[in-house]
Amino acid sequence: MKLSEVSPGMKVKIIRLGQGFPALRKRLLDMGVLSGEPITVERVAPLGDPLEVKIKGYRLSLRKEEADEILVEVVS
Amino acid sequence: MSKEIVVAVAGNPNTGKTTFVNAIAGTRLKVGNWPGVTVEKKEARLEVGDVKVRLVDLPGTYSLSPFSTEEIIARDFLVKERPDVVLNVVDATNLERNLYLTLQLIETGRPVVLVLNMYDEALKRGLRIEVEKLEKLLGIPVVPTVAVKGEGVREALETAVRIAGSVAKLDGHVSYGEEVEKAISEVEDWLLKKGSAVLGKYPTRWLAIKLLEGDQKVSEETGIRELPDLPMVKHLLSAHGELGEVLAEVRYGIASGIVRESVHKEDARPDLSEKLDRLFLNRYLGLPVFMAMMWLLFKLAFDLSSPFVDWLDGLVAGAFTETLAWGLYKLSAPEWFQSLVLDGIVAGVGTVAVFLPVIFAMMFLITFLEGSGYLARAAFVMDRAMHTVGLHGKSFIPLLLGFGCNVPAVYATRVLESRRDRVLTAFLAPLMSCGARLPVYVLFAGAFFGSRAGTVIWSLYMVGIGAALLLGAILQRLLFRGEATFFVMELPPYRLPRAKYLLVHTWEKTRHFVVKAGTYILAMSIAVWFLFHLPPGAKGLEESYLGRLSKAVAPVFSPLGFGNWEAAASLVTGFLAKEVVVSTMGEIYGLSSAEEDEIPQEFPSHSWGEVFKGLPLAFVEAGRNLLAGLYPVSLEPDEAEASLLSRIREVFTPLSAYAFMVFVLLYVPCMVVLAAFYMEFRSLRLTGLMLISHFALAYGLTYFLYQAGKLLGYGG
Repeated sequence: MKLSEVSPGMKVKIIRLGQGFPALRKRLLDMGVLSGEPITVERVAPLGDPLEVKIKGYRLSLRKEEADEILVEVVS
Repeated sequence: MSKEIVVAVAGNPNTGKTTFVNAIAGTRLKVGNWPGVTVEKKEARLEVGDVKVRLVDLPGTYSLSPFSTEEIIARDFLVKERPDVVLNVVDATNLERNLYLTLQLIETGRPVVLVLNMYDEALKRGLRIEVEKLEKLLGIPVVPTVAVKGEGVREALETAVRIAGSVAKLDGHVSYGEEVEKAISEVEDWLLKKGSAVLGKYPTRWLAIKLLEGDQKVSEETGIRELPDLPMVKHLLSAHGELGEVLAEVRYGIASGIVRESVHKEDARPDLSEKLDRLFLNRYLGLPVFMAMMWLLFKLAFDLSSPFVDWLDGLVAGAFTETLAWGLYKLSAPEWFQSLVLDGIVAGVGTVAVFLPVIFAMMFLITFLEGSGYLARAAFVMDRAMHTVGLHGKSFIPLLLGFGCNVPAVYATRVLESRRDRVLTAFLAPLMSCGARLPVYVLFAGAFFGSRAGTVIWSLYMVGIGAALLLGAILQRLLFRGEATFFVMELPPYRLPRAKYLLVHTWEKTRHFVVKAGTYILAMSIAVWFLFHLPPGAKGLEESYLGRLSKAVAPVFSPLGFGNWEAAASLVTGFLAKEVVVSTMGEIYGLSSAEEDEIPQEFPSHSWGEVFKGLPLAFVEAGRNLLAGLYPVSLEPDEAEASLLSRIREVFTPLSAYAFMVFVLLYVPCMVVLAAFYMEFRSLRLTGLMLISHFALAYGLTYFLYQAGKLLGYGG
């Protein structure tokens, strides 16, 4: 599933990043958004977008359209 | 005499890097721009022992990828100018992500010192960092610091000087793993065998890694578009498709390994940021809290500064002007010279001076918001709304400030990270109806719309916002087509900024305005004085160059409903500051004719007394404003204006008056905004484009309004 479809509090792991936008992809990689990395959605902004996620022990915000490029799976 | 060594300071944003640099260099820091771009460059010359040091602060970046101006500047400096040593400031509480940049810095082949900043905070959070182990794992010296208290800062600099110019021994310390290292050496060997001319320009290992990553900028610069058939490179490529991700994973893998071995979490303390975010970013409360914060920001910035604006105005227009007039009289200077000095130069100085308190207050508050971590949250809350019109969440703040004054709004665009967002926001900020336009609205709406004046004025604010949306949409299609923007943004932990940090930053920005923009403002004030007073012997405004110019251009405004020269003349002077439109009209209609100032025969000691008494009063007044709430704007015209009203009613109709107000709102940013914009973006093309686009937009909209109004039978 896409990260944008994950509801807050769910534990997920990144499978891969989309290839569509090279610059976005590189930026995400630089920020530590890598495959295999656990990531949690902390909350959604009051107006419904962007999202706040926690990864590698810090907080990151990204828009839903950017979160669309991040494929994740639920960690059981 | 030893030669000067170059020390570069690099690090992620929000690591206290700026505080670190200030702690080292303090007042010796020179602030400028990197050549050709609007990114701030800070450097200082120091002496450590008998060694001369040139300290260069690189822009804060998370990586050295070529995707933002800041990153390109940082990496070009490291790779092409080859500083003797790099001080890498990292946030000790968030070591893993910070080490990602550290590894890239080490890749450039420069000796690196790891500055473990915010060390006290890490201890408070229960993190135990084994410094020696960290040094061993990274193969570079590590110095713990608390930059806000100045602790460890000197040691860091001395360590840097000690290892400056040494050959960094990275191989064997940080290994990227068997396969990747093999691929890197394959490319290195190939490059060496090829003996390409580019070799001398780049560190070989760095170049090899960038080519493996498929770094577009390096391919362009070197002309090496493809790698040859190398066994390990081929193997990795076929397994992974591309190696950019592999290298990012390898670096992060190393970083997390290092952290696992050298950092121990003793006990998990509750995270203050998490608690604050539960309120500030709350689904339901987030927005109201944000609105309250913005209201407070606006109120503090303008209410707090307004008594000081009045005080400075009194100082320059009163005591200072009178003293100069007295001095010129004593020297028996010719009358035209007195006028040039008093009405041209002093007026220009006055313009700069009265903006000072506003800019200072605003920059102080913005620095506080930025340093505290709330600014990122404000962007988070507002991004949805701003993104629909193609802007960034952070754009909201400069635009909001624009309603008070457009000048600090232009400066406030510095909170934005990408140049695209900065330029776009600064382009639109002057369309927010500022306080200086209000006197024009009050006069005209008062003259024609009576009890509905309030609604009419409100509608003008809306026209400004609408115009900004329209122009924003057009600009994005013309100027920034296809430029990607992201909102991948760190939400840094909340921190209480120190007073010293706030003052240093505020002063830097305020000084920039006075020194840089001030020069242009003064020059323009003098130019306008000549327009008013030349040719020699001209009687009154009508015969001056200003009058002649106005008569020539007046017909241009006929289709907009105000083709008289008086309106045109007030528009010309309105460029100085929009409220001047009112005083020019008053002057032209001969009602509040420029009062003949009495030339003081004695030193104006009384006025200086007033000035000294006035300063404490300004503080009291500022305090009172804070408590009193936003004072309502008086819509009652005073006596002098009342007679001006009747004259205006003869020349304008309600429709043309409304058209005139819309035009005054939009036609050009005032010269102070223009000077600030030019100094911020250093581009004549953009500044010219702003002038032309605003004018075209104003003309088009006003034309449409006026002609439509006429068709609908609102009189013409």
